[in-house]
Amino acid sequence: MNMTQNRIRGVVAVSGWVAFAATLLPGGSPLRWLPVLLFVCLGPGLALLHPQRQGLRPGARLEAFALAAPISLSLASLAATFLFLVEGFSVTAFLVPLAAFSTAVAFLPGLPLPAATRGAVEPEGAGSFRFRKRGPGGGR
Amino acid sequence: MQQHHQGPAPAREVGVPAQPAASGRETRSGGGTPAPPARRTTVPDPAWLSPALLVLGLGLWVLALPAIDFRTMDDYGLLDRLPAAFYAALLVLTAGFLMALRRAGTSPGWPLAYCVALLVALKAPPAVLYDSVRYPWASKHDAVVDTILGVGELRPSAALSGNMSAYDQWPGFFTLNAALVRAFGVEGATDYLNWAPIVLGLIALPVLVLIYRTFAEDWRLVWTAVWIFQLANWVGQDYLAPQGLAYILHLTVLAVVLRHFVRPGSAGRLRDRAYLDPAATAVPPPTDLRQRAICVVIISPVIFAINAVHQLTPIMLCAALFVLALTRRYRNYGLLVVAGLLMLTWNLTMGRPLFLETLGTLRDSIGRLTENSRAGYAGQLTGPGPELAGRAGIAMALFVVVLAGIAVFGRRRLTRSALPLLLVSIAPVPLFAVNDYGGEMLFRVYLFGLPGAAFFAAAALVPATAGAHRSRGGRALRRTAAIALPFSLVVLTAGFLPAYYGKEAMYYTPPAETQLVTRAIDQLPEGGLLLATAGSFPQALHRYDEVEHWFFAEQELPENEKMLADPARYLAEGIPPGAKARVVLTRTQDIYTAGEGLLPPGGFAVLRDRLKASPLFRTVEEHPYGIVLVYTPASTETSATSGGAS
Repeated sequence: MNMTQNRIRGVVAVSGWVAFAATLLPGGSPLRWLPVLLFVCLGPGLALLHPQRQGLRPGARLEAFALAAPISLSLASLAATFLFLVEGFSVTAFLVPLAAFSTAVAFLPGLPLPAATRGAVEPEGAGSFRFRKRGPGGGR
Repeated sequence: MQQHHQGPAPAREVGVPAQPAASGRETRSGGGTPAPPARRTTVPDPAWLSPALLVLGLGLWVLALPAIDFRTMDDYGLLDRLPAAFYAALLVLTAGFLMALRRAGTSPGWPLAYCVALLVALKAPPAVLYDSVRYPWASKHDAVVDTILGVGELRPSAALSGNMSAYDQWPGFFTLNAALVRAFGVEGATDYLNWAPIVLGLIALPVLVLIYRTFAEDWRLVWTAVWIFQLANWVGQDYLAPQGLAYILHLTVLAVVLRHFVRPGSAGRLRDRAYLDPAATAVPPPTDLRQRAICVVIISPVIFAINAVHQLTPIMLCAALFVLALTRRYRNYGLLVVAGLLMLTWNLTMGRPLFLETLGTLRDSIGRLTENSRAGYAGQLTGPGPELAGRAGIAMALFVVVLAGIAVFGRRRLTRSALPLLLVSIAPVPLFAVNDYGGEMLFRVYLFGLPGAAFFAAAALVPATAGAHRSRGGRALRRTAAIALPFSLVVLTAGFLPAYYGKEAMYYTPPAETQLVTRAIDQLPEGGLLLATAGSFPQALHRYDEVEHWFFAEQELPENEKMLADPARYLAEGIPPGAKARVVLTRTQDIYTAGEGLLPPGGFAVLRDRLKASPLFRTVEEHPYGIVLVYTPASTETSATSGGAS
């Protein structure tokens, strides 16, 4: 695992705690809602999908990016529903378990979706949004 | 953004980019050889054009915003309030997107940037400009969040007025927003409510790309499909509502299924480039039982969340998984069973009251195709703006379907490889036979069919031209596409604006009117009754857990015409004895009931005047934007004794 991947892991692992710390700031401040929004929308999903031993294959980069938000919001929605069902909701009760979950899974291997481990769909080099040198493929 | 093109850019054909015979992948698989360059109509295509047009388009849009006079909207909603710069911005973005498409294979970042810009340009104006909630009914969702935060628990079995308990039975979206409201430290969801279409659109965009990329290797096709999806998504289901989130989760499950649930031994020929459409992606490699089982575990929380968020989407998901299970490629009964069991479990526990009630009404609604597929409650759209919006919506839907049909029948190889996408798009159609979903089924079926429709519509406009430049027919096809693509995108943009903004006068409510409603409801005692023509006005459901509601004009027009003959008597007969009742009639209700055809022309004014004149009701507050009347049954008795109530 290279330095960049470790850095991404580290950022994802602490993102929940940063979001939680941001809730100490005055209500409605962008410095408060922006980290919370980013973490709730992306944190748990990226933590689950991104850490792969050899980095994400090209086809899986798009997949990890696309699935991170829906998975994160699913977990956040289920967590919030559970807390209200047991009449135990508070910001701390909501964010701390999600942050702890993200930290824990960020240091575990990523979810074994086939594309992540063997590049199931995308050909090498085709799945990235990054710019590439023009090949013979025209507009593809 | 940075491009790797350092030298002079090659000249290209207008509209649709060149598509040499063999892509990199094709060459790798030995499916063809690089073709000699063809003679082309050329236009300059410098690398700086994409960023320049993007900046110009967004610049025009920013300049246009302050000139949008939304407070004086009239018959045509926002349409005739949008300045020329706004329309110019959309045209520039479309032109820039078409230029960016030509480099889509090497620089997919630019089409992505344009798609994001289109999303913002189309849907952000209300979020930036409005000083109140867009869509009056969206404030109902704020009320639900507010109530959940207030009581701190969910009450799925509480028999609340107007079936409001349903929101506690499928609470996932509201509990999530309640958590966000507290974590953001804002007063309520109204603080960010108008931004929901942008946030949901940004989350949906990569999921759509993922789905389209599963079936198309040609990035031009992928981005054109995303562009068409955004333009054809005029149905307004992406506001701060459960269905907006549930829809994205639904697409997510489908994306995982389509990519990771291919059964071994299936789709053999669909991995052979010689057999595939040149733009198509080979079917994903098969996965074994263990891999699929792991994938089921991974997507189960998403399926579970869909069930927690929305009542209709799990049915759409099960329908989609069912049609996929009919194909050899995706015959995954286990996944279908898991999705079905999760839905059933939720419906029989949290959602039990409404689920059983709906089952009870199915006997009446089942098979009534025309009624189940009608839009809205009962009336016909009335007035220039709403009528134009209705016509534009239908024309847009037909246009996309016709384009999709051309590709489905004209590009059989692509249809074969992308058949699962076609099937999941058609899957919700039979639901017309089951239930009208409060007049919403038409919009929901359209929305769930849109991903596939947009993909095949794009396939009609971005033809595979591998080797085509060698033949006369191929050249003609390329020339046609060079015109058809920009033409169609402009037509779709022209259709989106009336479809999305033509009824905007119904959707914007000045803050003073909202405050009037809030005051009126706050003055009702617990157990009091609020009367209004329809529920489409801001704060209509404020204190919904303490106050009863009667939206008395949400019925067929003939019934309302009878009601208008003597509205005071009609309402008095419906108000339970002893109830403390208030009637709130606002400008937004006037526009809504006229536009949706619930009341005849001038009917709202008649209603207001007759109630004001009746001794059964006393006016307590009156403004140009609304009136509040209190029900005074005591005066009826007094008047009757002294010679007659009207």
